[in-house]
Amino acid sequence: MRLVIDYRKCLKSGQCSYLHAELITADPDGTPRVIAERLGEDLRAAAEDAVDLCPSGAISLTEE
Amino acid sequence: MDAAPTPLSLDQLRGNLAAFVTNPYPIYSELREQSPTFMEFVPAGVVPGLDEPLAAWGFMRHADVYAALRDHETFTSARNPLVEKGFFPQLVLIMDDPPRHTRFRRLVNKAFTLRRVESLEPWIARIANELLDDIGSGETDIVQTYTTPLPVKVITRLLGIPGEDYVTFKRWSDTFISSLISISLEERMQNTMEMVEYFGKMAAARRAQGAEDLITALVEAEIDGESLQDWEILGFCILLLIAGNETTTNLVGNALSILVERPDLWRRMREDRSLVEPVIEETLRYESPVQQLLRMTTREVTVSGITIPANELVAIFFGAANRDPKEFPNPDEFRLDRDLRNPVSFGVGIHYCLGAPLARAEAKITLNAFLDRFPRLEYGAAPGVRQSQSPVVYGFEKLPLRLHTGGR
Repeated sequence: MRLVIDYRKCLKSGQCSYLHAELITADPDGTPRVIAERLGEDLRAAAEDAVDLCPSGAISLTEE
Repeated sequence: MDAAPTPLSLDQLRGNLAAFVTNPYPIYSELREQSPTFMEFVPAGVVPGLDEPLAAWGFMRHADVYAALRDHETFTSARNPLVEKGFFPQLVLIMDDPPRHTRFRRLVNKAFTLRRVESLEPWIARIANELLDDIGSGETDIVQTYTTPLPVKVITRLLGIPGEDYVTFKRWSDTFISSLISISLEERMQNTMEMVEYFGKMAAARRAQGAEDLITALVEAEIDGESLQDWEILGFCILLLIAGNETTTNLVGNALSILVERPDLWRRMREDRSLVEPVIEETLRYESPVQQLLRMTTREVTVSGITIPANELVAIFFGAANRDPKEFPNPDEFRLDRDLRNPVSFGVGIHYCLGAPLARAEAKITLNAFLDRFPRLEYGAAPGVRQSQSPVVYGFEKLPLRLHTGGR
């Protein structure tokens, strides 16, 4: 399971790195970066929430 | 320490506040070079008990605004001298910092996610079309007949309160937003008391019997096993009323006025609806509904070479940042080929506008509904009138339009 950020859609609102600092960090200019390449099942709920709270719909979750 | 510098008075610059509020862009452009500018925020004597003018550092550059918004530890939202002196009630979320902000934001985010807003779009479109059915065609003051009722009806329905009260809500919202200069302290407090009483009754009713609405969700919500306190629930209802209505009214009105001025663009949009989104985003930049908000420094900080002491007010000018030529070439032109990711219209960072997806949806639904019905838009006989009381917001008080249903 992986979190993917679509940088064409990302408006750098900063909500993902604020509310899910365990999954996503932000560069000094506000660009979000996914911390872990792969996520374990224990982080599924948090990852789904991160997808849901992005105001620009730029985050998705893939099962690969 | 040296004597405090004398704050720049807006009157010295342009003669009066109304001129600044209705067209702030020339002053932003004058001040941007020397920004941060120490400026008068509330003049002395206009608020009973305020003997000295309240000054703030005005941030006008995009880079400074962006950096300050991202640094919520240095630029706090939780302290505000107007609140501390009792002139203004403390609002939840927008006048708060972590950790309380984080816990609250996490809870209420769920009601305003993009997915949730998308699921609401059909009934928002129904409200929009009902309003347009009532208008029909011909001349109408769109502020009165459309841009004001739409967001109020949407937010009241989300909250779960009777929609027909929207005239009262509009008065509460106006009184709350109006600058201190135009409203007496007594009037302001009376207004707040009315709102608290109203929403208090609504919350009590939901405690007795729940419904499918946001007030019920708030009443029933638990964070880490704790329920929200009464003042938090009331504060959130008031915040939605204040932050969610006038701002959306202004966004929709500003967009329509921009499009009346551009009949060619209107015709192109009728053919190509993919232009709706960039038109909305560029409207948000070009005529930002929220022009400025306050922060306070928690420590000494240097911004664009100017050292600002701790405990000073900072006025973050979104409207000025969005017209900074360093970030947006030819900023005074309305263009659809800009990078949509850079404007700070909804803020940036932890306080990024909770209602941004809803505001965008209401604007999109409005433009599509107008495009469906009206091949042409024109100004009415009387000119539009911009609100001239509050430098915080930017929009129309009256906007008479002539709506043409037939012809091309």
